[in-house]
Amino acid sequence: MKTSPIFILALLLAGCAEPPKNVFVVTPELLKERQVETRRYDGIKEEDLLVACSNVLQDLGFNLENSETKLGVLTANKQRDATNASEVAMAVFLALLSGKPVPYSKDQTIRVSLVIRPVIDSNNKPMANSELVRVTFQRVVRMTDNSTRIETLNDEKLFQDFYERVSKAVFLEAQKV
Amino acid sequence: MKFTFLAILACASVIGGCATTNQRVLDADDQTQLQKRTYQSRTFDTSDKERVLRATISTLQDLGFVIDRADLTLGSVSATKMQGYLIKMTVSVRPKGTDRMLVRANAQFNVTPIEDPKQYQDFFSSLEKSLFLSANAGE
Repeated sequence: MKTSPIFILALLLAGCAEPPKNVFVVTPELLKERQVETRRYDGIKEEDLLVACSNVLQDLGFNLENSETKLGVLTANKQRDATNASEVAMAVFLALLSGKPVPYSKDQTIRVSLVIRPVIDSNNKPMANSELVRVTFQRVVRMTDNSTRIETLNDEKLFQDFYERVSKAVFLEAQKV
Repeated sequence: MKFTFLAILACASVIGGCATTNQRVLDADDQTQLQKRTYQSRTFDTSDKERVLRATISTLQDLGFVIDRADLTLGSVSATKMQGYLIKMTVSVRPKGTDRMLVRANAQFNVTPIEDPKQYQDFFSSLEKSLFLSANAGE
């Protein structure tokens, strides 16, 4: 009972919190992320590359959410289980120690957005058949107490795997198999 | 017990005092519509809508946003940033006269609108760099 005013106060403070400073400034770290998330493909039309990428997303079990081919944008999502044996074990252990239930990850929504844009040459003109693909992943993890945890994924391995699949799909697309 | 009750009452009145539903829907507060428009928009000297939109999309991606949707006809892009917090942003691009494009942005942080002009200024200066054009004052 004593905690409720504090809780409400915390809620109020959280609701009024300011966004972090420099959230709209491109930092060197963000540029490094751009490098990790981007690949260049030559000798393929933007449209064909977009089709190849949408096939890869489908291969990975994503449901297409939105697309604007004129701007080279695709978004997709999927819901998956998020339980993790070691996390559950830890939660049970902590629950036994504290006597209170400890929430752990239950399920997750993974969102992906993929954008294709032409490579810009030194005269500031878009090049024909040279495209940059940039993909970004986010996930919302729902816990057993229905709270959520949100994050952007930035594991380099994830992007390597993803683009390996795109390269294969582009090859198939080029061969029209 | 009495203290708890009073504290809850005080907090409730603070929350209640914040705004009514109508105010939330219309986001009516001390800033006028014109003030908001001024710091949320810029014009660029180009008539190429697609170029501005594509640059907007890559700027948002550079800033760690994931694109939710984009529409060339409407000239709009929506994106979300999830980094422990949630920022949602919509940017719209429309022609102003025959040789300029007007870019308007608005964003929310968790459940509050972002109303600090500095944040928008930062956004537009990031956009300037990716467009290779300088931003001029909005409407």
